[in-house]
Amino acid sequence: MKRESWIVLSAMLVGVPLLAQGKPLTVTGIRGVTFGAVLPGVPRVILRTDPANSGQFDIKGPKASVLLSFVLPLTMTGPAGAQMPLMFGASDAGYSQTQAIGSQVGFDPKQPFTAAVPNNGRASVFVGATANPATNQRAGAYTATIVLNVTVLP
Amino acid sequence: MRSITKLSLVVAALVLTGTALQAQTNNASITATASVQTPINVVGAQQLSFGNVFPGVNKTVNATDLANGGRFDVSGQASTPVTLSFTLPATLSSAGNTMPIVSYTGVHALLATQVGGVAFSPAAGATPTLSGAGALFVWVGAQVQPATNQAAGVYTGSIVMTVVY
Repeated sequence: MKRESWIVLSAMLVGVPLLAQGKPLTVTGIRGVTFGAVLPGVPRVILRTDPANSGQFDIKGPKASVLLSFVLPLTMTGPAGAQMPLMFGASDAGYSQTQAIGSQVGFDPKQPFTAAVPNNGRASVFVGATANPATNQRAGAYTATIVLNVTVLP
Repeated sequence: MRSITKLSLVVAALVLTGTALQAQTNNASITATASVQTPINVVGAQQLSFGNVFPGVNKTVNATDLANGGRFDVSGQASTPVTLSFTLPATLSSAGNTMPIVSYTGVHALLATQVGGVAFSPAAGATPTLSGAGALFVWVGAQVQPATNQAAGVYTGSIVMTVVY
């Protein structure tokens, strides 16, 4: 019995700690930023609190600290390659532990942001922006892609 | 003793083979979309023409004068409100001589025939709405006041209209 006890104790002292796998991390694009009709020469602002037109990402994963970082476009591209400037302000992103657009902590989407995923493993990120059409902006449909990277921190 | 040995080996195996937690990263994308409407275009379609003017005799051209009133033609996004503003000269000039121009009047309408036109003061500007075809016509009139010793000659000046959404 003593020999077995020593084996168990030794193994526990020198063995690699058993760690939990944790929930897998998923990020989903829920809704795009919709500027709608834009008039040449007239800036169009979409707030991150706009329930219909703001962008939204949903996060599902372990209860942990996560690092949020965006890849933001500088322009939107339209007909015949026309470019329209796109701006993101210092408070154009928001993090919500309750996934509620009315309950966000604002942050600058141009900077990495550390957030805490709650016990249920779910959170949301909202984003707004400003389109700045020139007075001679070519008429037509314009698009751009916004990417959100999420990393679980150790 | 044997059961304890087996249990010990199982425990040791579990401890030794535990897997380290890997850092997780993931991403997603969304699209930003916009539909840019038609830009505004303004053309000076007709001059404000006083014709022959006699010294000491004021002459007026009304904005309702389709033949002699100044006219701007505007095109842009259909059924969209715009704001009109003007730069109005106080005098007309000819070889260093000046002649006062005063009492500006204006009419804006959706048709070139001025049917349904709305009178306004160019000094104050206006905020009409473009037609369903994206069109607007704007006329300007005024009065010149030549002095009794006004020097003969062709007098001119520039009236500038600015249109924005």
